[in-house]
Amino acid sequence: MSKSNEAASMDVELSPEQKQAEAHRILLEDLGRSLKFLQRGIAAAETHYIYRALRAVPSLRKRLLPEVLAETISACTSETDAPNVRDCLKGMLVLLKQDQRESQSTGACEPELCLFLGLLSLLSLLDSGDRASGAKLAESLIRVTSGSQRRTLDPIASRVFFYYSRIFEMDGRLHDVRPALLNALQAATLAGMKETKAMLLTLLLRNYMHYKHYDQAERLTAKSSFPSDAPNNLLARYLYYLGHIEAIQLNYSQAQLHLLEATRKAPSNAETAGFQQTVHKIYVIVELLMGNIPERSLFRQPVLRKPLQPYLELTQAVRVGDLNKFQDVVAKYEEKFLKDDVLILIQRLRHNVIKAGIRSISIAYSRISLRDICLKLHLDSEEDAEYIVAKAIRDGVVDATIDHEKGFVQSAEIHNVYSTNDPQYAFDKRIAFCLSLYNDSVKSMRYPGSDHRKELAYAMEAIKRERELAHELENDDYDGDSDEDAMDEDL
Amino acid sequence: MSAKPTVQSVSKLFENTRAALNSQNPNLDAIKSQLSQLKVSLVGLALQNSQIEADQSFQVLKRSVAELGAELSIKMADIAAFERYMAQLEPFYFDNRLGLDESKVMYPLIGLNLLRMLSDNLIADFHTVLERIDLEQIQNNPFIVHPVKLEQALMEGSYKKVWQARSEVPTPEYLFFMDILMSTIRNEVASCVEKSYVSLPFDDAKSVLFFSSMDELLRFAQEHQWSVSPSEKRITFKTEAEDTRMFQGENIMKQTLSYARELERIV
Repeated sequence: MSKSNEAASMDVELSPEQKQAEAHRILLEDLGRSLKFLQRGIAAAETHYIYRALRAVPSLRKRLLPEVLAETISACTSETDAPNVRDCLKGMLVLLKQDQRESQSTGACEPELCLFLGLLSLLSLLDSGDRASGAKLAESLIRVTSGSQRRTLDPIASRVFFYYSRIFEMDGRLHDVRPALLNALQAATLAGMKETKAMLLTLLLRNYMHYKHYDQAERLTAKSSFPSDAPNNLLARYLYYLGHIEAIQLNYSQAQLHLLEATRKAPSNAETAGFQQTVHKIYVIVELLMGNIPERSLFRQPVLRKPLQPYLELTQAVRVGDLNKFQDVVAKYEEKFLKDDVLILIQRLRHNVIKAGIRSISIAYSRISLRDICLKLHLDSEEDAEYIVAKAIRDGVVDATIDHEKGFVQSAEIHNVYSTNDPQYAFDKRIAFCLSLYNDSVKSMRYPGSDHRKELAYAMEAIKRERELAHELENDDYDGDSDEDAMDEDL
Repeated sequence: MSAKPTVQSVSKLFENTRAALNSQNPNLDAIKSQLSQLKVSLVGLALQNSQIEADQSFQVLKRSVAELGAELSIKMADIAAFERYMAQLEPFYFDNRLGLDESKVMYPLIGLNLLRMLSDNLIADFHTVLERIDLEQIQNNPFIVHPVKLEQALMEGSYKKVWQARSEVPTPEYLFFMDILMSTIRNEVASCVEKSYVSLPFDDAKSVLFFSSMDELLRFAQEHQWSVSPSEKRITFKTEAEDTRMFQGENIMKQTLSYARELERIV
């Protein structure tokens, strides 16, 4: 520790070669530390340590040097490795274009270590833009995961699958990975690898959605269960896909629920801005399709303001119920909406615009002729207007009756919302949300294995002390001072 | 390739069947049996030679047979069979990895399928299929535009437009589903009318519900249990004013109990 501090303070005087050597050494040390965490995790069968090793991956990725990686890989290989692990490690060296060095390791290389090193090699290849080698490496890594059922492998394997799919996506060959992912999903489900399963489900959904196989994606979600204790960022992604599929299948209330949850589960920082934007775009449309108007403050958030501008104008058009304005906005931003894959969803909004128009008319007028409605909403004919209003009445958009012979619409009197059950339903919904939030947070707390014994011992001691105290009190014949002292001690 | 002559013989059989279907007075049952023969020989081909799956002309033949089947089932008014053939055609139409040329009947058949979903009120499926069609086609292809416009009119409630769309079908095959659609929208209109009118005179009710004769209207009214008064010549709709202000004891009890249970878990 003191050594590295020294090095940092002498930074100015070092020559470039020395600096490089220093970076080399630090990287090697950091790699070694991560591997130690892995080994500790394997020994204790505790995924805790594995996560600590994985947490170092982003910082390692930035400084990764192929030759250092090769050194570490060589250091891990030995003659006693399982054949698939040995092949994989060798393959890594070949793909990194490094020579095999002398091995110092005596024990066999655990699959976790192999995968971790593989993951780093994969990132290094990806960053250098060599996707063809990356794809080869990813395939060999997946062969290593397929044989094993170890719980400690789970978090690393899930990341390997992520990059595997990512490489093929960048190459535009996403449908080639589908069979492999489906097989892996089956294996992960059987082996109870929760994180890998969650990752594979989201990857498959992404895969299906990329080719617009919404029906297949929907079937996948219906036939599989998402692991309940999956990491939040996977859950957020899964919820987004679910919400998107449901929006397309007109299941708006579920879609709204899932999209809202997705925005809440996703961490809000600069790195997730893209995700937040994508989710909010669909969320706004789903809200509009449900007949709600999203809050203005949503569009003011700094990350969302600019990308959501077209959606803001859309919302304004729907809110006013102006069909012409709505069509103008759609025409103006057609390219953008098409790029976001929501144009067809937006075209469904047309009747919401009409509904909003009818609603505002029914609030403003207690009685209005069908002819005037037709003019105000730019509808084609009076007959059409009559059917449209009739449908609005049936759908509960407005409360009114139509007089066919005289050709007018009569609005019913508006009654007080607080005399109905609606406020109670709203409260019930909120209470249920708070309670489930509480339950979720209780569930996600961690209780280390032997801690309760300590507490137990502590409680026993407290009981013993109390007994002693009581005993003393009895003997002491109520001495005020000693009583207070005892109290202090006890506190 | 030893299988080549067989591919040719099968395509010859296909051409014959095709011609039979296009003739003036096709014998549908005979064509149906020919079609099953065709399908059997296709399977035979695939079994003889496993390489043939990659052959383009074989795939085109497979597609054409399924298309023929879809057309035949429309002619025979067999909706379930049509649905099956469309499911078979789906990989050819939407997942074109073999690089086949676009089939001529692709969009008419997709349009028909869309119409089938509308007439069956499968709006969710309708939109799922729609998402997979190119926007260009949705906006310009007459076979697709027709069902898309219909759906929009249905959603808005412009039932008059739906009624008129019957005379604007791009091919006569669409009429089959349009007729089914008509009875669907009549029921839709009926449910709207029930809620939005207090009563309607006979003549108006007839035109609103697209009936051409009085008898049909009266039968329809009876089915929906509307009260008909022949003396006034009016139909009066039942008004079921649901009183939402009623105290829903059971519901509140359930909720309160669930709160109590949750709170007990916390304390």
